[in-house]
Parts: sequence; C-alpha cells; structure tokens
Amino acid sequence: MGLQGSPQVMQDMHFCYERSRPNLERLAKALKPYHPSWRGAPADLPFHFDAETIARGLNFTLSTDLGDIDFLAEVSGLGGFHSVEAASGVRNVGGVEVHVLSLAGLIKSKTAAGRPRDLHVLPELKALEEVKKKTRSE
Amino acid sequence: MIEEHEKLALDLINNPPPGSEIAKAKEFGVDLTLFISTLRRTPTERARVLSQGARIFQLAKQNASAEK
Repeated sequence: MGLQGSPQVMQDMHFCYERSRPNLERLAKALKPYHPSWRGAPADLPFHFDAETIARGLNFTLSTDLGDIDFLAEVSGLGGFHSVEAASGVRNVGGVEVHVLSLAGLIKSKTAAGRPRDLHVLPELKALEEVKKKTRSE
Repeated sequence: MIEEHEKLALDLINNPPPGSEIAKAKEFGVDLTLFISTLRRTPTERARVLSQGARIFQLAKQNASAEK
C-alpha cells in the first residue's frame, strides 16, 4: 500500500513468494542472517525458517532484524505468486526492480479478505486509484 | 508528480466530482490531502519513509550485485 502512495502507516511489509523448491531454498538462505522468528510465538518455541518449514506452510508472519515481514504464498482474492505477479507492475525501489501489486489488485484483495481492517481502507484505496488515473501519477 | 498533475490532484481533492470514489472517500473521512505528499514521492522515496522499508531493498540490491 505504501509503495503505491497510500498514506497508511504499516508496520510490516508483505511479499508474495513463488513455491518452487529452488526458490524456497533461496528465500530461506536470504533471510537466515536476519534471524527470522515466528511473530507472536513464544520466544523459546523452536522455529527454523528453512526450505522444509516453508514447504510445509503457506503464509508466514515473521519478525526479523529487518523488521516485521510477511511472506505470502497466496493473496486473498488473487491467488498464488503468478496471479499476484500478473496483477503487479514493475517499480524501481532503491535501485531494484520490484513487482508491486497494483491498486486494482490491492482493492480486489482487500475486498476478498473482507475483514473490518481491510474494508476500512477501501474508500482510501479507491480514491487514490482514481486520483492516480486522472493525474497519471506513478 | 509534475506541477500540472499536482494542481489537478489538488483540485480533485478539494472539489471531488459528485459520486466519484474521491467524493465517497472524503465523505468517509479519509484525509485526502495526504495523497499530495505521498504522490510527490517516487516509490523509492516511499519505501524510505516506510518502516524499515529502505533497508530491505538496499540489501536486495547488494545481494543482486553479489550474485552477478
């Protein structure tokens, strides 16, 4: 939401990941130096964010040295990685080409999730989408 | 966002077309003026102001460079 220009302050970042085995291994390896732990779980609960663990689960809410990060295999209303990728546009963020979910995709996802906190942001997202279209803003 | 677009955005926010999503959001209580400052920023600048946002992309860049 923030990358699309929403003024909502989020404490975490959400990434949708692809579930091929090599990618699960890449993901586990990339996160390892940042001490991922299962957010909200007791500190003494054994948790290893490795390829096996990722393969056995779907969505992970993690605390890391980089901050709180959620890794989602599926996004409500959209589906898995390839559907989410198709609903995204490439943006340059800090010199990295990143697929950022479009506002239309965000709106679809929030509508499908349907929780009060999702529905609460819909008027803002729809207005932002309209302003961006009319002003041709990024 | 170029100056011309910013003027248009301000006009839309201050005088939303009746029945538009902008008008509905204003009625809902959304502070639409916040759009101006966020839309002025590039995605990189938005990431920078998000909690921890910038660091993770810097690390991704470093990792991408290391893999080349």
